[in-house]
Amino acid sequence: MEKMTNNMQNYNVFVPRIVDNDEPYSSGHRGCVGCGEVLAMRLVAKAIGRNAVVCASTGCMEIISSQFPYNSWKIPWIHTLFENSAAVASGIEAAYKVMARKGKIPSADISVVAMGGDGGTFDIGLQALSGALERGHDFLYVCYDNEAYMNTGVQRSSATPFGASTSTSPAGKRRSGQHAWKKNMPSIAAAHNIPYVATACPSYPYDLMEKVKKGLAVKGPAYIQIYSSCPTGWKCDSADAVKVGRLAVETGAYPMYEIVNGQVNITIPTPEFRPLKEYLEIQRRFRHLTEEDIAVIEERLHKEYRELEEKSKCQNK
Amino acid sequence: MITVNINGKDYSAEKDETVLAVAKRNFIYIPTFCHNEAVADYGSCRICMVEIWTKKGKNKLVTACLFPVEDGLKVETNNERVLFIRKNIAELLLAKCPASAEVAEIAAQLGVYETKYRIEKDGNKCILCALCTRVCDEVVGRKAISLVNRGINREVAIPFYDNAAACIACGSCVYICPTNAITMTDKDGIRTITMPNCEMKFALRKCNSCGREWIPEKQVKYFLSSAPGLTIEEFDLCQSCRK
Ligand SMILES: Cc1ncc(C[n+]2csc(CCOP(=O)(O)OP(=O)(O)O)c2C)c(N)n1
Ligand code: SF4
Ligand code: SF4
Ligand SMILES: [Mg+2]
Repeated sequence: MEKMTNNMQNYNVFVPRIVDNDEPYSSGHRGCVGCGEVLAMRLVAKAIGRNAVVCASTGCMEIISSQFPYNSWKIPWIHTLFENSAAVASGIEAAYKVMARKGKIPSADISVVAMGGDGGTFDIGLQALSGALERGHDFLYVCYDNEAYMNTGVQRSSATPFGASTSTSPAGKRRSGQHAWKKNMPSIAAAHNIPYVATACPSYPYDLMEKVKKGLAVKGPAYIQIYSSCPTGWKCDSADAVKVGRLAVETGAYPMYEIVNGQVNITIPTPEFRPLKEYLEIQRRFRHLTEEDIAVIEERLHKEYRELEEKSKCQNK
Repeated sequence: MITVNINGKDYSAEKDETVLAVAKRNFIYIPTFCHNEAVADYGSCRICMVEIWTKKGKNKLVTACLFPVEDGLKVETNNERVLFIRKNIAELLLAKCPASAEVAEIAAQLGVYETKYRIEKDGNKCILCALCTRVCDEVVGRKAISLVNRGINREVAIPFYDNAAACIACGSCVYICPTNAITMTDKDGIRTITMPNCEMKFALRKCNSCGREWIPEKQVKYFLSSAPGLTIEEFDLCQSCRK
């Protein structure tokens, strides 16, 4: 369990051959070329294994993986509404418990995983999620954060970062993209006093899989928010799915950390930041930003990272 | 296709599959430490013990990871005899690895929280499963580490305890170790791999663009020598700086 360190990112070449071969999520789905979100979902599926049930809220990941007869899931999977995957997962978890108690199944030790996009998590699904976290169901919630409502055509959500241009926060003469700062969803999840909260990114696959396993291993609810690049919505090169994730972490735009029983651990520390510009310039959703805008965003991101660092230090004492 | 009965239920299986493979596919939990799909099974940790009855009437305890299924085989994974022996193995492992959270976890699943045996070595985490040495040999192809000595002196080591010549610092052993007995850290241009009884240090190569240390020099050398056509320029830029 303590395996997770910053060098998870530095395993190369041989380690991929040691990872479990089984793919509960099969290839041949309908995601866009270069979709980072579906890459994340495949890694999540690998980490949860086959003894699991997945509830997915409406969004790209549900649409591309479940169209009859081209289902990509090899494990039980249920489509929920846009807003209630956490509620459905709560019901499944409770039902298994009862069935085990009545002796209808040998054990309730089945992983229940709810999934949703950032829209389905940060916005419309927030109350269902909050309820499930507060009631303490033993399940894992995975949020694929591609920072907008991609499936319906790139509308802004409360996960859209400041300055990003989307179809409902377009950059123009008066406004330069999204006017609000990204909602701090991991903190909101952690405020429910749940045992495990983490951010992850498919550019660091071992770290991601380790976090999913940890989230499943803890008793009680776990929340994992996965940075998922979207070439279609972000207007970046479809070959850059992995690179953009690495840059997001290395520039401090999307820090990788976990909150275990309230204690913050930065899992991929960034002692020195790359210039934020390197991250922004490969995505056309940010191309209207001026040097001053970038400086403002960079300052805020660095401040947030330092705050996180402070938290991790003071608790780790 | 053959039929195997596990815990009273029939399952179909291929000839030559192991009991563990069939059980795993059908969600029947059998604890393991020394099993990993990527390498040949070895049967050293013994925690996967199950009881079998063959058609010919043979009845014994076997390791699920090594025992091949045959038609009409009956297996029980959780009966009194199996649990008795498994608990004892858990106690032995607890005595061997008092510092391992993973051993403690599987022991706790069996209701074992302490051991009647003498603690071998405080702080030890290594269960001598040989996954690290097997992965280094079978997957990486370097054979940089091996198990040396016998009996209570058995341990994982590099040749003569000080020759890390064959190791390319890929981290496969770190990743595969089921008890986190091997660790790896990158700091100040040096990658340190710490085995239970020795430490290896490797210089890291800098990225020409951002200056981060990103790959061990020895790994670069190894790739250059093993993949003809590869040039040193390919290692100038780190993953993030590459176009
Ligand atoms: C109640 C309700 N409102 C609106 C929709 C239409 N809708 C379907 S998917 C989607 C966007 C999903 O965005 P997100 O959750 O971020 O997932 P993504 O597609 O980005 O992966 C919307 C608005 C719906 N299905 N249900
Ligand atoms: S729109 Fe974006 S998130 Fe949706 S499938 Fe395409 S790349 Fe993936
Ligand atoms: S160091 Fe780890 S992988 Fe190697 S033998 Fe010991 S427990 Fe097994
Ligand atoms: Mg989205």
